[in-house]
Amino acid sequence: MKWQRKDILGLEDMSVEDIRHILHTAKVMKEILMRPIKKLPTLKGKSVVNLFYEASTRTRTSFEMAAKVLGADTSSIAVAQSSVSKGESLYDTAKTIQAMRADLVILRHPSSGSANFLADILDSGVINAGDGQHEHPTQALLDIFTMEEQLGDLNGKKVVIVGDVLHSRVARSNAWGLQKLGVNVTFVGPPTLVPVEMEGLGVKLTHDLDGALPGADVVMALRLQLERQKSGLFPSLREYSQLYGLTT
Amino acid sequence: MWWLKDVWVIDPSQNLSGSRDVLVKGGQILEISSSLSEEEVLAKAQGESLETVDGKGKFVFPGLIDVHTHLREPGQEDKEDILSGSRAAVRGGFTTILAMANTQPVIDNRALIEFVRLQGERAGYAHVLPIGTVTKGMLGGELVEMADMKAGGAAAFSDDGKNIQNAEVMRLALEYAKLTGLPIISHCEDKDLAGDGQMRRGMASARMGLKGIPASAESVIVARDLLLAEETGGKLHLAHISTTESVDLIRRAKTRGVDVTAEVNPHHLIFCDEEIRLTDTVLKVNPPLGSRGDRESLIEGLRDGTLDMIATDHAPHTLAEKARPFAEAPFGIASLETALSAIWQYLVLPKRLSLERVIEAWSYSPAQRFGLSGGTLKAGAAADMVLFDPDFSEVIDSAQLVSKARNTPFLQKTLQGFPVMVWVEGQLVQRNRTVL
Ligand SMILES: [Zn+2]
Repeated sequence: MKWQRKDILGLEDMSVEDIRHILHTAKVMKEILMRPIKKLPTLKGKSVVNLFYEASTRTRTSFEMAAKVLGADTSSIAVAQSSVSKGESLYDTAKTIQAMRADLVILRHPSSGSANFLADILDSGVINAGDGQHEHPTQALLDIFTMEEQLGDLNGKKVVIVGDVLHSRVARSNAWGLQKLGVNVTFVGPPTLVPVEMEGLGVKLTHDLDGALPGADVVMALRLQLERQKSGLFPSLREYSQLYGLTT
Repeated sequence: MWWLKDVWVIDPSQNLSGSRDVLVKGGQILEISSSLSEEEVLAKAQGESLETVDGKGKFVFPGLIDVHTHLREPGQEDKEDILSGSRAAVRGGFTTILAMANTQPVIDNRALIEFVRLQGERAGYAHVLPIGTVTKGMLGGELVEMADMKAGGAAAFSDDGKNIQNAEVMRLALEYAKLTGLPIISHCEDKDLAGDGQMRRGMASARMGLKGIPASAESVIVARDLLLAEETGGKLHLAHISTTESVDLIRRAKTRGVDVTAEVNPHHLIFCDEEIRLTDTVLKVNPPLGSRGDRESLIEGLRDGTLDMIATDHAPHTLAEKARPFAEAPFGIASLETALSAIWQYLVLPKRLSLERVIEAWSYSPAQRFGLSGGTLKAGAAADMVLFDPDFSEVIDSAQLVSKARNTPFLQKTLQGFPVMVWVEGQLVQRNRTVL
């Protein structure tokens, strides 16, 4: 198939064919990465800009390495979180990037929808490396890739995602992507972190981990940020791990 | 002198809806009658020059009164000022607008009240009536000098934009405002429940990963303020009601005789939360757009009189401010120039609301509640008046808007049904969509 998309913004609006195409390409690429010389000319002469409004060494390095392997020229614009509200707006930055004639922009930003916002402005492609609590499509694609490697075809499988799904872009992207591949997705956590309106994603909700585990093919545990305790979303790590901690 | 011939007159103040002739002379309504002859009219003109308007197929009604506008002056004139805002008002069919107090500085003393009033007079379009804050600095603590501010021209008191979180301060405000006879306008929003939410909490917010504001953020304060008004006997007006629960609470309070009125904004009657797109900050508004069910409750509430008035909550912002990711864009919709047309197209044409009810809720009811002149076409009343052409359609175009703001959901869309002539005190201020 021919790749038609300018951007990768989320899995909610990505077709099954697109998802399969990416997974297939990733498989080939993984083999290439195992070779001693891992340099491809695919993106030779193209420029990739990493635009990170949140610190994330791991994600940024992964994107930089990927771009380098594919032969692209990369540059990074790291914006300190503190200067976001006062300094240049994302709109102004977008105009600068437009003038730089970048071919591809990788964006990590604390606001939901910021990647869609940037993609609307730019002629260049935009890859969402995490926007607020909205989507983190590449992380989810990697999760799905790993699941397929382990389990083969995911159709009819059951995936349980445990934790703070309300605030998780990874959970949202996984939910969209997995369901498109025929997976039954269940969100598990306390009602404050798994509120009833999450049903809008088409997933099953439960507050009972033990009830959700039987028959699960994959269990994903989300990172829990301690600041959620301060805002009253759960009373203590102690009780949380009693109810939702995964023990073998 | 003006002679509007064979025009459909809607004047809820005299229970009138029918084809008539309207005569305007010396800035006032001279009379409304049937089938006047040219000789009769010329005799009444007594030598004054006469302009005749063929009103067939058009409506005339009292100039609309909007009790909730943000004109941003003083302090934020990049968004709007009193001149541009009052020009936008008459372009949209409003002849009286109440200006909210959350400017920079906030309108919390008589000097500032008089400044806003004077700027409105200097502009010379719609009547601009200032609303003062309830508390000094709009900080929710000490009360302002309400009596002095009323003497300077304040039409009401409101900390709109913020809510008075301290119930005792709200209780005292309702008590003290009795000295003035003016209502306290409450922007009902519990700060903790609203948090840093960006839209109504629901499936749409969950899907997009936008922080949600629960419906209860409004309705718990509505309940509180109704109880306080009931206990004190104070005069309460509830701004921009947006939830089913609030409508129910108000309906019940009214049966108990609580001195309360309430307004609803056009956007809450037209849109709902599921229409919000992540990149479409134009629908980001506070209170946030509710569910379909809320929208139905609001329409029902407006029909049965639980909600007394429509008000725009005209909230102009600059393009740069709205051109941000959703969470970073300010709340608000600019609506003075499109609101009446939108209500006509989305609610009157599909027969959800009668035009008579719309005019009552947007002119007569506000005049009654805030003790304003206007809202009537009775003989002798100032001729604040709108000629409305239900067939006139227009693309809402940036170049045509006279407000400084462009944050309207109707930009580049076609709306049908517009005011084509507007008079303030008998003076024509808008003709064929152009502000004179
Ligand atoms: Zn308000």
